[in-house]
Amino acid sequence: MTRGDAQTYKIALVGNPNSGKSTIFNQLTGLRQKTGNFPGVTVDIKSGKIRFAGGIEAILTDLPGTYSLYPTSSDEKIVAALLTHPAHANFPDGIVYIADTNHLEKHLLLLTQIMDLGIPILLALNMSDTAAELGIKVNIIRLSERLGVPVVFVSGRTGENIDRLQAELEKMMLGTQAIHKTAAFYTPTEAEKQLVEAVQLNLGTENPYRALLIAHHYQWLPFLQHSERETLAAIVETKHFQSLRAQVDETLDRFDRFTPFVQESVQEAPTFPNTTTDRLDALLTHRIGGPLIFFAVMLLMFQAIFDWSVYPMDWIETGFSWLNDGLKAALPAGWFSDLLTDGILAGLSGILIFIPQIAILFLLITILEEVGYMSRVVFMFDKTMRRAGMNGRSVISLIGGGACAVPAIMSSRTIGNWQERLITIMVTPFISCSARIPVYLVLIGLAVPAVKIGGLINAQTLVFASMYALGVIAAFASGWAMKKWLRTREPSFLAIELPEYRMPDWKNVALTVWEKVAAFVWGAGKIILFVSIALWGLSRFGPGNAVETAENTAREKAQTTQLSTSETEDLIAHHRLEASYAGQMGKFIEPAIRPLGYDWKIGIALLTSFAAREVFTGTLAVLYNMGSAEPDISSRTDNQAKVTMRAKMREETFSDNGKPVYTLATALSLLVFYALALQCMSTIAVVKRETGSWKWALFQFTFMSALAYVVAWLVYLLFS
Amino acid sequence: MLRRYKTVPDLKAHESAAAISFVDPALACKLTAMGVRPGAVIEMIRKAPFGKAYYIKVDGIRLALREEEAFSILLEI
Ligand SMILES: Nc1nc2c(ncn2[C@@H]2O[C@H](COP(=O)(O)OP(=O)(O)OP(=O)(O)O)[C@@H](O)[C@H]2O)c(=O)[nH]1
Repeated sequence: MTRGDAQTYKIALVGNPNSGKSTIFNQLTGLRQKTGNFPGVTVDIKSGKIRFAGGIEAILTDLPGTYSLYPTSSDEKIVAALLTHPAHANFPDGIVYIADTNHLEKHLLLLTQIMDLGIPILLALNMSDTAAELGIKVNIIRLSERLGVPVVFVSGRTGENIDRLQAELEKMMLGTQAIHKTAAFYTPTEAEKQLVEAVQLNLGTENPYRALLIAHHYQWLPFLQHSERETLAAIVETKHFQSLRAQVDETLDRFDRFTPFVQESVQEAPTFPNTTTDRLDALLTHRIGGPLIFFAVMLLMFQAIFDWSVYPMDWIETGFSWLNDGLKAALPAGWFSDLLTDGILAGLSGILIFIPQIAILFLLITILEEVGYMSRVVFMFDKTMRRAGMNGRSVISLIGGGACAVPAIMSSRTIGNWQERLITIMVTPFISCSARIPVYLVLIGLAVPAVKIGGLINAQTLVFASMYALGVIAAFASGWAMKKWLRTREPSFLAIELPEYRMPDWKNVALTVWEKVAAFVWGAGKIILFVSIALWGLSRFGPGNAVETAENTAREKAQTTQLSTSETEDLIAHHRLEASYAGQMGKFIEPAIRPLGYDWKIGIALLTSFAAREVFTGTLAVLYNMGSAEPDISSRTDNQAKVTMRAKMREETFSDNGKPVYTLATALSLLVFYALALQCMSTIAVVKRETGSWKWALFQFTFMSALAYVVAWLVYLLFS
Repeated sequence: MLRRYKTVPDLKAHESAAAISFVDPALACKLTAMGVRPGAVIEMIRKAPFGKAYYIKVDGIRLALREEEAFSILLEI
């Protein structure tokens, strides 16, 4: 090995967007991969292990797709920043460059840029299967000679020649590559040469092209020190260096150089025929048909979440109540058994119950992306999104927000303009995510009658749909307001490629869905589990012996009024809860939430929901002393549990005036609160990370909470 | 005055013309990296459903451009 003897050899996959990097990555690493270093996050940089015959291993990283080392989005900046920083812990020892054989010319620009950085590189011409169909033939030997890099012709889809690629990789690692080209591909202009020398002198950068890139990007490269930045600014200033001009000239010069190589070695089908993609796009991006089809697809998607998830959700529910009953019967009564069942088991079921819906949603979104439909949506709705201060690309984040805001916010990285990206990040959590579904179901089931309005639409369905609509409206309205308020002048691009439509690669789809669901379960799951256990503790114990005193009082009361055994139990539970820490907390905030129609029990649910809103139903179940039946309340089949839960909730009255708590007004106000408030620690964490400061995370939290409070209050006033 | 060039929005559906140059340097940088270079033949496919964006084809590659972006590509007459 030439470098990194002490550590494992590091290989990076680089290529243009849609060149098939992820597909090749999956081929090379199989299931030996992991994503990111942050819980609940998915589109972070993926890495995986490759094993070679002799037991040697290498780490493979899948970098974001980019067209060149002159980036326009933060996704692309990751690549340029890494490759200009050899001291970085993840700096690759070698690169596998993936290019789409069918558009070879366009894909070679970045290759030649990386070659000039002097990193060992290997060219994988991908999509050999479609090339064969189109009748495109490549003279690999000629191309390899001309470019001065080893070339392998592969297909990520069929797995053709992946073994050859591995063999070439091994040669690269061992430093026994057949070809070593040292001369730079691009010859800098005189002005650039002087600039490069100045940078090399001042920063000690060895590689001339790296020095040139640093001069281009000195304003944002994250590894530069303040003093270095100042030095570079001064150099650029004195040399009158015009970065953008130079970038264009360099790019065109590179194209002029490698175009002949491509012409020599590629025998192309004469023209691009009128393909299936063109025919499909005539319909799918049609002036009227396009948007109509889009809305139909969205409708079907959300329909599918509900229809398909019924059975798996029921299995999970049944499984948990069975386990719960079994444990309760088998274990001796006491706090440990309570902790296990009402704390841990309740928390676990609260996590697992989401898996079916979130998996279905991720599955459908991934398929839409894989086939190439999403970029059409970006094209069609760019104008609409810009009205709300966003970019067409924001559509992808907003749709993803319907599953979970965390990966959706991360997918905003493809948006180049900072303001558009920031607004996208700020408004995505308004879209009703799958964690809100159970909350909606419980509250609607409780307060909205299942009557047909005008003999057509079920009132419950209508309220449910309105919650989604409310989220979308809030997202667009606040985007529009933020646009008026922010106003920066930074170039904003649409310029997006519309790839050919392809059948999804099912292995890719399965891996992506698995990855996202796993990230959700580990990320959000930890929080949910922690909150359920904490909640269990807070509602079981109280200051001093307050809980015991409360229990005794309740017992006496029950005796004097001659209650039945089960009524006595309920009364005791209620009194104990009121005296517990959780009860105290709820009572403490009661004055603040009373205007919205909530009592202290809802207060506890609200407080715990700020960690993760999916805790709501579990909290209510604990509070209404139904820990064991918790999963059942959102079920559409287990009516018994639902009825009991609802009956208990309906009986609730305010302690001061004896009026019922769960009126239509309270339920609607709570619904609106949950639709608009940011109650998710994972989202706050990811916003902090993506925006680079607490400022925006806190702003978003405050803004959404305040909006939720005000609107919930108005709704309560309106309906009570 | 006679114009010696036109821009992408001037093209009718399925009409094509060769690109001469770009007005906006930032966009030029992005487009050249995506393979749209002076000399490339640009074919108009269609307008976006709500306007303000165009679907074009360049050397077999399909691209979506905003109106401003489309205006900044100068084409041969
Ligand atoms: N026919 C064919 N399709 C392929 C091949 N490799 C990848 N694809 C498809 O090309 C599309 C893009 O592949 P990805 O692996 O997601 O590409 P990527 O480079 O990771 O894309 P970004 O994530 O946008 O950077 C997917 O629809 C793949 O199924 C191949 O060898 N043959």
